[in-house]
Amino acid sequence: MYYKELYTHKSGGSLPQLVSAENENMQSRYVVQKVLALREEGVPLKEMAILFRSSFLSFDLEIELTKANIPFMKFGGFKFIETAHVKDMVAYLRVLENPRDVVSWNRILLLIDGVGPRTAEKVIDDILKKRVRGAEPDGLVGEGAGSSTDLSRYWMQFNDYSDNVQKLFDVLKHVAKPSVAPAEKTYQILQYYEPMLKTRYDDHQKRRKDLEMFQNITERYQDVGSLLTDLALEPPNESIVDVESPGPEDEYLTLSTIHSAKGLEWHSVFVIYALEGRFPTMRSVGSDEEVEEERRLMYVACTRAKENLIITYPMNIYDRESGMILTKPSRFIQGIGEHLLEPWVVE
Amino acid sequence: MKKFTLKQLPTDHLHLVQPQHLKIDYKGELNPAQYEAVTSVDGPHLIIAGAGTGKTRTIVFRVSYLIELGVKPSSVLLLTFTRKAAFEMMRRASILLDSRCEQISGGTFHSFANGILRKYAGQLGYDANFTILDQTDAEDVINLIRTRMKFDTKERRFPRKEALYDLYSRCLNTLTPLKELLALDYPNYLEQEADIQAVHTAYVQYKKQHNLMDYDDLLVNMVLLLKQNEPVRAVLSDKYKYIMVDEYQDTNKVQAEVVKLLAFKHRNIMVVGDDAQCIYSFRGSTIRNIMEFPQEFADCKIVKLEENFRSTQPILNLANEILKRSV
Ligand SMILES: Nc1ncnc2c1ncn2[C@@H]1O[C@H](COP(=O)(O)OP(=O)(O)OP(=O)(O)O)[C@@H](O)[C@H]1O
Ligand SMILES: [Mg+2]
Repeated sequence: MYYKELYTHKSGGSLPQLVSAENENMQSRYVVQKVLALREEGVPLKEMAILFRSSFLSFDLEIELTKANIPFMKFGGFKFIETAHVKDMVAYLRVLENPRDVVSWNRILLLIDGVGPRTAEKVIDDILKKRVRGAEPDGLVGEGAGSSTDLSRYWMQFNDYSDNVQKLFDVLKHVAKPSVAPAEKTYQILQYYEPMLKTRYDDHQKRRKDLEMFQNITERYQDVGSLLTDLALEPPNESIVDVESPGPEDEYLTLSTIHSAKGLEWHSVFVIYALEGRFPTMRSVGSDEEVEEERRLMYVACTRAKENLIITYPMNIYDRESGMILTKPSRFIQGIGEHLLEPWVVE
Repeated sequence: MKKFTLKQLPTDHLHLVQPQHLKIDYKGELNPAQYEAVTSVDGPHLIIAGAGTGKTRTIVFRVSYLIELGVKPSSVLLLTFTRKAAFEMMRRASILLDSRCEQISGGTFHSFANGILRKYAGQLGYDANFTILDQTDAEDVINLIRTRMKFDTKERRFPRKEALYDLYSRCLNTLTPLKELLALDYPNYLEQEADIQAVHTAYVQYKKQHNLMDYDDLLVNMVLLLKQNEPVRAVLSDKYKYIMVDEYQDTNKVQAEVVKLLAFKHRNIMVVGDDAQCIYSFRGSTIRNIMEFPQEFADCKIVKLEENFRSTQPILNLANEILKRSV
């Protein structure tokens, strides 16, 4: 390793703290109260971050933050784009862009009432056989870069299917026109998709909000191609379900996985769930290499802090997978002297 | 008759700008090691340094410095781990200097590769409007092929789609032969190596046939394009004259290959990282990229930054202690 010990010419600064709480909820309440106290001292919410090893570790805290009316944004972990309903919407746009995208065809055909895998396969076979009129004699769809006029002509060919399937093609035919902007395409498709959303998901109201957010995102785009690329490569991080909308002054607290916090810095940083079995994870402890990667993660987490670093862990966490009760602080901080890390307990 | 012989002027007129004509006081804003890294613009550079020592800040100032020297913004290429991070660096450089810094080429390896591949898709047997499969889509396709090839009904247990995807992805990202990975992680499937390989071949064909790429394809096809196609490689190397990569400790071998190929003409490449912060090796990133950079580019200048500008000493003491206790 090239590693050198870190030093600074900055003077002063208080000791990092290691705070143990009797249980998860006490840890959450501690963090909420400490955040509010720091804010009173003049540290804006934007200068504070709560970091954790895995995305699910902040769920309880999120509830307490909401109760305390503290706006936050969560980064990392679960992605909005990975939710089934958003993937459905994306699939419609994908076949518009690339009519050979069999994966998406399959998805949207199976959403139709009365269409099973066999029917879907038949329709797809048929789709793949259709050619673009006016394109090269043997050119399958898309070849020759699938210019937009060719593509809209292409969509005119789908006419004699059973009512349910035909409905899908009629929508696609309509929105495939190059003159229809991505946001309008999305809107039309959403009208078509809505009844399926309702029958498929009990929590369709919540999901509907995600789709509204999706609709908003599409407004920013001129063409479906770049919309799809951005969604695939740089998806918006959070599902609306997980986000408290930021307050009016754009003041919000950051909740983030450590992976998503890399390169960044805050005045005050909390590392929660520094609990053996959670950080390092249960799964990693079998392998030295993996434990070392977890250690580097802890190093990344701690080095995000400018002025205050507070590490917390709850005791008495039941781990379902192993049937064990987790009680010990993370091995990465266990036994570190009080001259480096000041022990605290929440009561 | 007297003759006047025209001199061959350097294309970028780089060294024609005098330091006193620069808008920004680079010397005042940076410490000597950072200043050195910002102002020596030609040839390979490796900045290796701990957290908070100003690595990213050095890149930001270097972008601004290059632009001040008259380098065309689009020929500066800045690659990093998220587009957000790339935008943030461009934004900071723009505040520092001016909006020209927003016009540099930048983004993640994947988004950069995507842009290039849209343009040259035809060279690889793809159309420009290919769509991108996410991991679950990719697994579904693999599953379909697995079923079609009747591996779901053989007497012998065959790896599931998740395991297959994981295997293929790691083969590509770590450039490890399938056999080796099998021996390491799935020894009970070792005998079926040929079949596993066959499913992969069919998977690759299927994607091409349907104009689909998965995430790994973006990088792999980019390398393929650069390797196979000498003229394209030359065009791109001419286009991206100054390449910088932040968080280099979290790149994988394919990404290192992309960088090497792109820089082949000019070798103006600066990579920046901290081996103690490598946190993506579960996805195939490897600190060997950073460690072997000096061998790969024998004449590279190594810059070490030692002073932390971010945290108080008590925080750094704890961070040092955490690393020191490593086994
Ligand atoms: N020479 C300097 N003078 C003043 N401040 C500096 C200097 N160099 C860096 N800084 C400040 O120190 C902080 C850390 O810098 P930066 O984020 O560039 O470090 P880094 O090495 O990239 O960190 P990481 O390893 O976490 O990515 C920033 O706030 C930056 O503005
Ligand atoms: Mg950095």
